[in-house]
Amino acid sequence: MKDMHSSHLGREVRVAWAITVKDMLTYYTRPPSLMFGILFPFSLFLSFSIGRNAPLATQIPILISQTLFFASSSIGPVVIPSERANQTFDRFLTSPVSLLSILMGKTLAGIIYGAGISVIPVLVGIAFFGSQIINLGALFACFLLSSLAFSALGIMFASIPGQTPGQVMMPLNFVRIPLLFISGIYTPIRELPTWMQAVSMLSPLTHTVELARYASGGETFFGPILNIIILTTYAAAFLFMGIRFHIMNQRKE
Amino acid sequence: MDNAIEAINLTKYYDDLLAVDHINFEVKKGEIFGFLGPNGAGKTTTIRMLTGISIPNEGTATIIGYDVQRQPVEAKEQMGIVPDVSNVYNELSAWDNLIFTGKLYDMPKTYRESRAEELLKMFGLYDRRREKVQGFSRGMKRRTCIAMALMNRSSILFLDEPTSGLDVQSVLIIRDLIRKLNRQGLTIFLTTHNIEEASQMCDRVAIINHGKIAAIDTPEKLKRTVESLQSVEVAFEAIPPDALKELAELPKVSEVVKEGDKFRLITHDPSSVLASTWNYAQSNNLKLITVNTLGPSLEDVFVKLTGIRPATMKEELGKTDRGGGQSMGQGRERR
Repeated sequence: MKDMHSSHLGREVRVAWAITVKDMLTYYTRPPSLMFGILFPFSLFLSFSIGRNAPLATQIPILISQTLFFASSSIGPVVIPSERANQTFDRFLTSPVSLLSILMGKTLAGIIYGAGISVIPVLVGIAFFGSQIINLGALFACFLLSSLAFSALGIMFASIPGQTPGQVMMPLNFVRIPLLFISGIYTPIRELPTWMQAVSMLSPLTHTVELARYASGGETFFGPILNIIILTTYAAAFLFMGIRFHIMNQRKE
Repeated sequence: MDNAIEAINLTKYYDDLLAVDHINFEVKKGEIFGFLGPNGAGKTTTIRMLTGISIPNEGTATIIGYDVQRQPVEAKEQMGIVPDVSNVYNELSAWDNLIFTGKLYDMPKTYRESRAEELLKMFGLYDRRREKVQGFSRGMKRRTCIAMALMNRSSILFLDEPTSGLDVQSVLIIRDLIRKLNRQGLTIFLTTHNIEEASQMCDRVAIINHGKIAAIDTPEKLKRTVESLQSVEVAFEAIPPDALKELAELPKVSEVVKEGDKFRLITHDPSSVLASTWNYAQSNNLKLITVNTLGPSLEDVFVKLTGIRPATMKEELGKTDRGGGQSMGQGRERR
């Protein structure tokens, strides 16, 4: 019985990984992935950072957080509507694997994309702007939990039954862009009024920024433990809701 | 377990629209089972419920005894699916498409590679296996799609409109292949609105209309249910301008249908109509170039059960009611 379970689990993991690899090969270089995953966060960063007095090294955590946020959450909304349009998503639904594994495969594609791109600002910061990584564990937690939570957010939004990336990206941006302004990116959280600090605590992006700052020796408002707990909670909640919404779609199909 | 597929009380609503209405049928192992119906009748919705893409509101579907909803992994291991659109990965090569399908079924590496090679050779795609599928013709994409459906050596193959929109050569290749696969023991579930295709290929057919099963039987038995629908097919060297109207006025002709350069005179008494048609040709100095008596076809059964029919004399003359009918225009059984 134990062997049956382990072989079943092994099968689910192998199929999920096959889906991840296929998505990486097929969708990473698609224009919407590049635009929303790379150009968008870098452009936003530059437009808000150029001309400010703060040293660039202190702004690198902001760029890391933005790329983690945008890149990780962009893969699901690019992949799933495209696959829905040419009915390749049906291939997964008719294959002998659970919906959880299908969505985990897609989530992992988002995690690798987001985390992979976000390594670039870390390296550039260290090499050219004197950034330091004081706490590698915090950086690892920041990358892992943030890319997981944001990739799951993208998968959840991709349950919107659209057939083009734009149909999912638009409502997703209604959530993503306001989060930029309440997450302590451009205004430090301790300078916000109390009610805004409470709102800020509810944003997952706040905790990504905090962990990235903490990893590079900066100060945090909520503390790394709360950051990790909240990001983990969001990751679990987005995954759970994503699966529920995709099942609801199947009922409507 | 003689049945490969069982649909029990299968029902699907789209909001308030009842798309599939408590249908029941079974498909025996080794059969080619045709699922016929006009557009919007519920064919694709049914296939989507049988294959686990869509969740039924009521009822169950079983595949080789496995409940598609309760035992999805076991049920899906038994089936290969070819949807109405060739859902191949255009960015990948034919080889990578098949290998990825093998991975979805968790086939071991050596096995999936040997199976992919075997199928690509069988489908005449092996020489172009490294090319991206986006450069393939529609027929080649269809063949790739069918090859992908066969990767896991399934025992049931679902084909949704497999020959729709293909050139004649591809249609013949695919039909031949379906027959071959069936001879090898594969159960085939075929949805089509090509009645002639169903008549030629299927052991049994079900006709679905407005989400309900209107009839299920062998094509020949279904044809016998409309034995009264006989006709005489004639073609003249030159078509007189009022031929449609004048032929309809001949004794014992209940209806005239113009089919290309031919006229089909529907009647209960073909011998009388033959005689009167001959007289009509003589008196109008017309040269008959074709005369056939036709028995009822599967199309006639379809027309009778669904109300969808080819253009009749009234429509040809008046051309006033274009919205209500859907012309099927398929071949007939010659006697």
